[in-house]
Amino acid sequence: MATYSPGRRRIAVALTLTSLFLLTLDLRGNQVLDGVRSGFGIVYRPINRAGEVVSAPVVRLWRSFREFDDLEEENRQLRAEIDAQRSAEISAQNAIIENQDLLALAGLESLASYGSVTGRLVGQSPSNFDQQVEIDRGALHGIRVGMAAINEAGLVGKVTSVAPQSSIIMLVTDPSYAVPVKILASKGEVAVATTSTTVIPVADSDDTAVAASEANGEEATENIAETTTTVLEIIRETGVLRGQGSDRLPRVSFIASASAFGQIEVGDTVFTAGGSTSLAPPNIPLGRVLNVITRAGTAGQELEIEPTADLDRLQFVRVVLYQPASEVGR
Amino acid sequence: MNHVPARVWVTRTVLVGFIVLSLQMTIATEIRVLGVVIQIVLAFAVAAGAASGPVEGAKAGFVLGLMYDLASGLPLGSTAMSMTFGGYAAGWGRQYRLEPTWWMLAALAAIGAAVGEVFVPIIRVLTGETGVFDARIAIVLPVVALSAGMLSPVLIPIARWALVIRPAEVRVADADT
Repeated sequence: MATYSPGRRRIAVALTLTSLFLLTLDLRGNQVLDGVRSGFGIVYRPINRAGEVVSAPVVRLWRSFREFDDLEEENRQLRAEIDAQRSAEISAQNAIIENQDLLALAGLESLASYGSVTGRLVGQSPSNFDQQVEIDRGALHGIRVGMAAINEAGLVGKVTSVAPQSSIIMLVTDPSYAVPVKILASKGEVAVATTSTTVIPVADSDDTAVAASEANGEEATENIAETTTTVLEIIRETGVLRGQGSDRLPRVSFIASASAFGQIEVGDTVFTAGGSTSLAPPNIPLGRVLNVITRAGTAGQELEIEPTADLDRLQFVRVVLYQPASEVGR
Repeated sequence: MNHVPARVWVTRTVLVGFIVLSLQMTIATEIRVLGVVIQIVLAFAVAAGAASGPVEGAKAGFVLGLMYDLASGLPLGSTAMSMTFGGYAAGWGRQYRLEPTWWMLAALAAIGAAVGEVFVPIIRVLTGETGVFDARIAIVLPVVALSAGMLSPVLIPIARWALVIRPAEVRVADADT
């Protein structure tokens, strides 16, 4: 029987060092390794497709066994929600069009400024430590590393790896993901007083009349009319959203302490902030504040965010053809 | 495997690796146990180690790990390293027993899988990732280890074919001559 020997140890050490060497090369960026990866993808793709076809009945059986009751209940709730949201959708569509018109008029950046490519999900991360998905669109369709991925509900993640016909997208829940965000909160109505003044000509008034008016406590020379209008008080706070892993919600930590502390509440909306170094264009909906965490000392607040996009049931993903400055050339 | 040309076992391992990888990417990502993805590729690598020894386990783990990295877009070498350790660990106990029983092999495979899986977040931390080490690993490790142990009776014969491992009696006879 074979026994432990220095030769065996040497082989194990050699393999470990080779792994380290490859890891270093790949992390620093190496065109040869990128080519090998693309080539492997081309060879492996049909095998994986065959695997999908073969395993599809098993997967469907498993899903129907595991998810039937949940889906039935969810379906009932969703129907009720759809009914409630139909009217809101019409006014929201109108607001979106108006908003985009205004942004275009002002020459401001918005999501509508960029093209997009829609891809179908063809795989999930096989690892227990990554939150990634794979789509069937790649470099040949204009996708580049760093581009933001969204769906109808909001931000999904960013492209981290691109092959000619496929791309890997890191989800917003991945611990390596971070993006600048803004939290918008409308805090009810604030009364604003508007004053209009009318001057009554005093030339034709006599002393008696003035004295009588003053005796009655009235202004003799001015007629003051007050109107009150109401506006929504919008609180805007900026921070950085970071993924926390598959079982935990992403969190927002604030960039700096600000006066809005304590005014952010559960249910406030979170959007991407944009900016020259941001991974995503501005104003993409990301989620809602689910929990406000007050940390001890000077650590400040953190917000737990519930993403609007259901990351467990992604079918199609739209990649926004916007490559952040920090990712150009990758 | 000592006298088998590398091209033979590498070719066989890569062929089987493609099938195992395909199962990993399709069925394993869907059918999760307690939310944990069962690591079929790692189970095959440790089965190779348990069936033959530390060097064969490490070699199979390295080749399969590279394929895993290439297919999943992970940094090349990261999974290769963790599976090398896993295969080596599974084979380490194998060398002290000429003909282990099936449950011994399953236990070795489970230990190897636990070692391989625990090195995944360790290597990620070394490459600068944060947040990969959390309490969830307390669920991930037992599930991955148990599943590898349970899969080993199926995977070990395949690993023996892929790595061209002959029965123990033949190897002992070769050693005597």
